[in-house]
Amino acid sequence: MKNKNIKKLNKKISRRFVFLSLIKGSVIGAIGWKLFDLQLIENQKYEKLSDNNRFDFHIIPPERGKILDRKMRLIAGNEDTFHLVLNWNKTLDSDRVIERISNIVNLDKKDIINFKKKISLINEIPTRKIIITKNLSKKNLSKLAIRSIEFPEISFYMSKKRVYPQGNIVGHISGYTGLPSNNNNNFLSVKNEDIQVGKRGLEKFFDNQLRGKFGRKRNEVTSKGFVIASHIYENTISGKDVQVSLDMKLQAFASERLERGNFKKIDVTAKIQNRINDDTNFSYINKDYVYLDEKNNISNPNSGSIIVMDIENGQIICSTSSPGFDPNIFSNELEIEEWDKLKTHKRSPLLNRSMSGVYPPGSTIKMAVALAGLESGVIDYDSKFFCSGSKKIGNREFHCWLKDGHGSLNLSEAIEQSCDVYFYELGLKIGINKIALMMKKLGLGEYYDLEIDDKAKGVVPDKDWKLKRDGLSWSLGETLNASIGQGYILATPLQLVTMVSRLASGGSKVTPTLIIKKNKNDFESLNINQNHLNYIKKAMEKVVVGRKGTARNYKIGSKNIEMAGKTGTVQVVRISNEEREAGVIKNEDRIWKRRDHALFVGYAPVSKPKYAISVVVEHGGSGSSVAAPIARDVFKNIFDLS
Amino acid sequence: MRYKNKFLSESIFYSFFLKFLKINWFVIFCIIILGFFGVIALYSAAGGSWDPWAKSHLYRLIFGSLIMFCIALTPTYIFYKFSILSFSLGLLSLVWVKFFGSGDVPRWISIGGMNFQPSEFMKLGLILILARYFDHIPKVYLEKLLPYLIPLLIIFIPGLLVISQPDLGTGLTIILLGLAVLFYVGISIKFVIISFVLLASAIPFIWQQLYQYQKNRILVFLNPEMDSLGSGYQIIQSKIAIGSGGLFGKGYLLGSQSKLNYLPEKHTDFIFTLISEELGFLGSMSIILVFCVLIILIMKISFNTASLFSKIVTFGVAFLIFLYLGLNIGMVCGLLPVVGAPLPLISYGGTSLLTVLIGIGLVLSINIYEKKI
Repeated sequence: MKNKNIKKLNKKISRRFVFLSLIKGSVIGAIGWKLFDLQLIENQKYEKLSDNNRFDFHIIPPERGKILDRKMRLIAGNEDTFHLVLNWNKTLDSDRVIERISNIVNLDKKDIINFKKKISLINEIPTRKIIITKNLSKKNLSKLAIRSIEFPEISFYMSKKRVYPQGNIVGHISGYTGLPSNNNNNFLSVKNEDIQVGKRGLEKFFDNQLRGKFGRKRNEVTSKGFVIASHIYENTISGKDVQVSLDMKLQAFASERLERGNFKKIDVTAKIQNRINDDTNFSYINKDYVYLDEKNNISNPNSGSIIVMDIENGQIICSTSSPGFDPNIFSNELEIEEWDKLKTHKRSPLLNRSMSGVYPPGSTIKMAVALAGLESGVIDYDSKFFCSGSKKIGNREFHCWLKDGHGSLNLSEAIEQSCDVYFYELGLKIGINKIALMMKKLGLGEYYDLEIDDKAKGVVPDKDWKLKRDGLSWSLGETLNASIGQGYILATPLQLVTMVSRLASGGSKVTPTLIIKKNKNDFESLNINQNHLNYIKKAMEKVVVGRKGTARNYKIGSKNIEMAGKTGTVQVVRISNEEREAGVIKNEDRIWKRRDHALFVGYAPVSKPKYAISVVVEHGGSGSSVAAPIARDVFKNIFDLS
Repeated sequence: MRYKNKFLSESIFYSFFLKFLKINWFVIFCIIILGFFGVIALYSAAGGSWDPWAKSHLYRLIFGSLIMFCIALTPTYIFYKFSILSFSLGLLSLVWVKFFGSGDVPRWISIGGMNFQPSEFMKLGLILILARYFDHIPKVYLEKLLPYLIPLLIIFIPGLLVISQPDLGTGLTIILLGLAVLFYVGISIKFVIISFVLLASAIPFIWQQLYQYQKNRILVFLNPEMDSLGSGYQIIQSKIAIGSGGLFGKGYLLGSQSKLNYLPEKHTDFIFTLISEELGFLGSMSIILVFCVLIILIMKISFNTASLFSKIVTFGVAFLIFLYLGLNIGMVCGLLPVVGAPLPLISYGGTSLLTVLIGIGLVLSINIYEKKI
């Protein structure tokens, strides 16, 4: 019995033995399968993860090319900056590190706030480099570098910062750089805070040329984030420099002259400061001086634009837009407040008035209308019209700027004195479509192939245009308005200067450009009768030198060099009949927004036209008293006559 | 008589020599291979240096092997005699560490400058006392449930003591080991099923008793991405290391995960990860293979031996090695939660090494001295 039991037990033990062996076998089998799965099936995935751990892939930004003016003055360049970087890992007490660093060097409060924001956003990656500041001075760098043993968790690296030494006089043209947005990030797969791409202006247009080629390197890093080896496997190629046709000396002069206008520049004293604080209309102040207008009121600097173009080759040598902005602020970390201030500012400093600001051209368009008249043969040099001070169409009266009228005058006299009624009559005779054709021929209402992306097209209205836009037919009154550059017609200062260039060049199709081309430009001809052109040019000369010329007070007065041109004063609001009878309120007494635009277009020297200019002073008053003297001074500066 | 005496004095020496020859050299061979793996892995873990681990691991291996040989040549009945004493000593030292232990977590006991983890030796004590108990009681009783009451106490008292240290991994190993022995001896299947049901219903209660870090480990095991910086970090990095090894590995001394310190505890519990990374699937499979051979050899001895005591001891040692292997590799490759189990003979750490070598010594002793079927 006992033996039987033992036998039974032994049998049972054997069974259990086998059973347990099976369990062991299956556990080891499971482990084997898991290893097979990890190491052979999913091997590639884990290899990638391992490489991600091991290597820190970096892009090495190339040095961005410089932007230079025609005399090799620097418009945009690069400056060394030192970044202070924390090799963050989750065990690190970052606040303590910042505190210790702050004991040695002063850190910008903004940087610290940004840094803490970045820290609080990390939740996944065990190690990471976080920039503490991008602007570490050389002095602070050496202070920290000496004590680097105490700070094993921080590192430095040198980087390039974009600088614009000209400041805000050329911000609109140079544009600025910034971090690539997601749209234009497709050329990079790795995010890097050092990468700058052109965002506006020349920086954007020439981005490919300026950018150069990115290098690539990988660092071998430990789990604590220390770099133990670095391997560059693609070298950087620096960006190419870009030279543009602008002349920074002239640009600086023109900017200042435009801002000043006819105002008086004064320093900000305590008394002035109080007056500024009281004045709610005063919204633009970023300098240590302000302007006083004729009535000793504190005034904003003039808003507007000056463009100077080389007639022979279309090169723009000066293009200002006031108020400007300083592109350097985009090189540092841009504060949202600062950006909002720029964006919402009453005078829109971000608008490049020269190229994307549109204005009714006013009387400056009269040459085009005159040329249209001559070319179409509806008038000749001797044709006269009588100006009584107004012209009635239907029951609406169209006024000349001179209340009592100019009497009977010919085309040349009409341009010289800028008689509106003459051009009303002329416009009626030519018809809007032919006027529009001539305007377009002279460069209005088109984009040019210019090296700046944001440009405005302006408007050159004709019958089809109106039908398309409003579904209404063209009225004669509108022809009258168009004949003196009011109504629908809109042009940019760039288009106006192009128009003058085309006239002054003797009918060549001058097109604006910002780059200096080595081979001389041969513009095609516009097929305009030379005699007609010469007649118009003579009339433009008379505007300045003539006895009754609208700009007769602003001659250059040099023996060899004189300018020719045309003034324009653009009404911004319609003057009602009641107002007219009560006596038109003087320009200076209106609020700024309702004042007239002051325009002047012209060229110099008269004998051999070289430079064309257009001056627009927004709500500046009359073209003859505000815009013409600015143009004269700019020419004086160009020809060294002051 | 004189002649006989002379012969006797020679024959003690001679019989000792004969016993030495009877040692199962295949087992020794497996141990040498595994020890060799351990030394080269630790050499690599230190970045290609004998210090601080590889050299002292080698010394420990030699020292442990000497003890193993001593035990192997000691007649088995001595261990039979000493089994109750060894268990009681183990239990006492567990209570001792509970109150006077050293280290952040009281697991260690210091004797003459050397640190021991009594919970490891407890495993051997448990095997011995269970073997003695079942060998001792009349075999007819084994059919019934009553004789299993005392063994359950013997298992659960040290097991729970270790878990409360807190050391979940070792505690569970002790309990699993004990239960496996009970099952092996022939506890009724019905009872096994009932206890499983009871255990399952007790899980919520046990969960409450666990320490937060133990709960976290289990939660993170269920979902490693939950905490990729904390407890999950270890297992994610470990899987990356193993997975990136591929078939042939990144090459000896070239494991980037271990060299760049992404691997946690690469010289102790995660040593297998380092081997997998540097020597690939082939390397890791050969280690498992050698372990399997070792376990099979011991089980063969167990199968062939006659007495229940010997059967249970050999089975217990084989199962102990299996548990070490399963827990450790299961943990590093993400099949099991991170419970903290070393890989014997390879991981740096004296106690588990000594435990396994002593256990194998017992097996060898049984192989030499015990009657075969």
